[in-house]
Amino acid sequence: MAKLLVVDDEANIRLLYAQELSDEGYSVVTAASALEAVEKLESDSFDLAVIDIKLKNESGIELLQRIVKERHTLPVILCTAFSCYKDDFSAWLADGYVVKSSDLQELKDEISRVLAKRQKAAFT
Amino acid sequence: MDWECCWSREEVEPENCPYVGEGEEDLYTSHRRRVVEKCVECPRFKNDLARMKGSGSPLSDVLPFILTEFQEQKAQMEAMLSFLNSKTREIKFLREVGIVLQTSLDLDEVLSIAMTAITAGKGFGMNRAFLLMTDKERRHIRGYLGVGPRDYEEAWRTWEDIGRSNFTLKELARDFQKTKLSYEKVKFHDILSQLTVPLADQGHIFNRALQGKKPILVENALNNPDLDRGLARILGVDCFLIMPLISRNRRIGVIIADNCITQKPITLQDMQSLETFAFPVAFALERASLYERLQEEVAKQKSANLKLREQQELIVKMEKMALVGKITSSIAHSIRNPLMVIGGFARTLLKGSAEDDEKRSYLESIVRETRQLEDVLSEVLDYSESLFPVTDFWDLNELVTKALAELEGAMEQAEVVCRQELSSDLPMVRIDYKQISYCLKTITSTALACMEQGGELTVESLNDGDGVMLRISDSGKPLTQTAQEALTAPFFQTQELGEGGGLSLCKSILERQGNSLTIYSRPGGGNTYSIRLLTRKENI
Repeated sequence: MAKLLVVDDEANIRLLYAQELSDEGYSVVTAASALEAVEKLESDSFDLAVIDIKLKNESGIELLQRIVKERHTLPVILCTAFSCYKDDFSAWLADGYVVKSSDLQELKDEISRVLAKRQKAAFT
Repeated sequence: MDWECCWSREEVEPENCPYVGEGEEDLYTSHRRRVVEKCVECPRFKNDLARMKGSGSPLSDVLPFILTEFQEQKAQMEAMLSFLNSKTREIKFLREVGIVLQTSLDLDEVLSIAMTAITAGKGFGMNRAFLLMTDKERRHIRGYLGVGPRDYEEAWRTWEDIGRSNFTLKELARDFQKTKLSYEKVKFHDILSQLTVPLADQGHIFNRALQGKKPILVENALNNPDLDRGLARILGVDCFLIMPLISRNRRIGVIIADNCITQKPITLQDMQSLETFAFPVAFALERASLYERLQEEVAKQKSANLKLREQQELIVKMEKMALVGKITSSIAHSIRNPLMVIGGFARTLLKGSAEDDEKRSYLESIVRETRQLEDVLSEVLDYSESLFPVTDFWDLNELVTKALAELEGAMEQAEVVCRQELSSDLPMVRIDYKQISYCLKTITSTALACMEQGGELTVESLNDGDGVMLRISDSGKPLTQTAQEALTAPFFQTQELGEGGGLSLCKSILERQGNSLTIYSRPGGGNTYSIRLLTRKENI
């Protein structure tokens, strides 16, 4: 069972993600801020992180940069209400990019794609 | 003594003097004039003089001196009269040329009158003339125009034509400007192109003439040690005149004139006449070229002013648009998260509900409406993004091919045949690739939506003045005026939120980048969407 870390500052969205992704058979841990996410990453191990780009006063992209630097094996999917971040070069560090939508299918597809890719990379 | 000639008689009968011609009959009764005009040349009078010598008259020794002196004076008078006549003609001609030169501001007109004056028989009557002018950078003298025949055949034909036409000089010049100027400009291209000389080359004969402000008559050019023989070979003549054109100490150019056909020697008088003529020509040439440059500057200024005004209007418009974009983007973002939560949970609930649950339809409504709101939000965000185009030079045909490939599925589904007629020699266009691609896709989708199953779609690209035209034509029902306006009206005035937003967004994207979108519906059926993209750099 893959373990996911979901980082979003909105409680309802965390709840929605936790619910939907658990239904998909993932083990989901949520964090409301970048700080909380770092703490959880240090104490636990994850297979993938889903990060919102806008986290109140923090930036999801900075969190992404930190993860890439410190734990480069952990795949990250950026998730945002802003489609324009697609053209931000830092966002290219992420393994996936999903625009927020009430239909979570795209996010789910992206998660399984990234995980499958990582698995394949680990085997070869 | 009985004289042979009639000089001693007051009046004579016609049979007494055979030298009085027709129209001179009054000489029979006018004694004095008859003696002066006829008798002094008469052989009979000479015989009388010889006989007088024999008679021992005291006048017989003196009279021949007086007679010789009289004849010499008469010849001199005649020569002076002829000179005076030619000068009068010249002054008249210079006056005629002067008036045109003083009043004309048109370079071609000045050139025509000057070159005609030099080469026409009514003017200076030279066979051929070349005008060389100083270039704008004032570094070289360059061959500009040559006038005259290239060979004897042509010369003969031209002179015959002129002989028949009986034009005044002014008329000749006008005729020349209208019918021959452009031809003459290319006729001597081979010679003119070899006549470029740097102004810094002090030793060159052109610069020597300009320096000395005096014409130079070159004779025996092929064997002249002071002269570059190349020049004589280029011109193909041994004798020619170089006339400097100087106006207020500015070196305007040089005229080379020769008699390449008749080989008539160039006289001192020819040279002096041309010298008098050179100053007004130089002045008029300078004035005309200054005027031409002034006109160019005025046109440039006008277009700069116009552009400035357009830019100002654009800035005001862009500021407004940017504000609208900022507001819409901020609203859209604050709506997106709650909307996602509402729609997301509705979907979760819908998944968990039983097939026969009556509340299922409510949840389905929530999901559907949320989806629609999310689509609108995406469009609004696309719009606010469109306010900041990133432009670069792109190959339009490549963009069209890629965008249409993405729509292949939709076209197959609608059973629409798509024909691409792309011009192969299009210039690159300066556009925001993403945005224009979006416009093309949106317009094509709109066209597809308006068509019935199995229509035909034509996408063509072609050159259009300073821009490129992209035309998308469908075979669907023609849109009404209201429908067209609704489709392109800014922001959601139609009932179909999505479509209305799409085309109006395209229009605003295109217009902001200085381009345009027009829709034309053919009464017989079909609509054409024309996108005009500018290739000019400064439009962005």
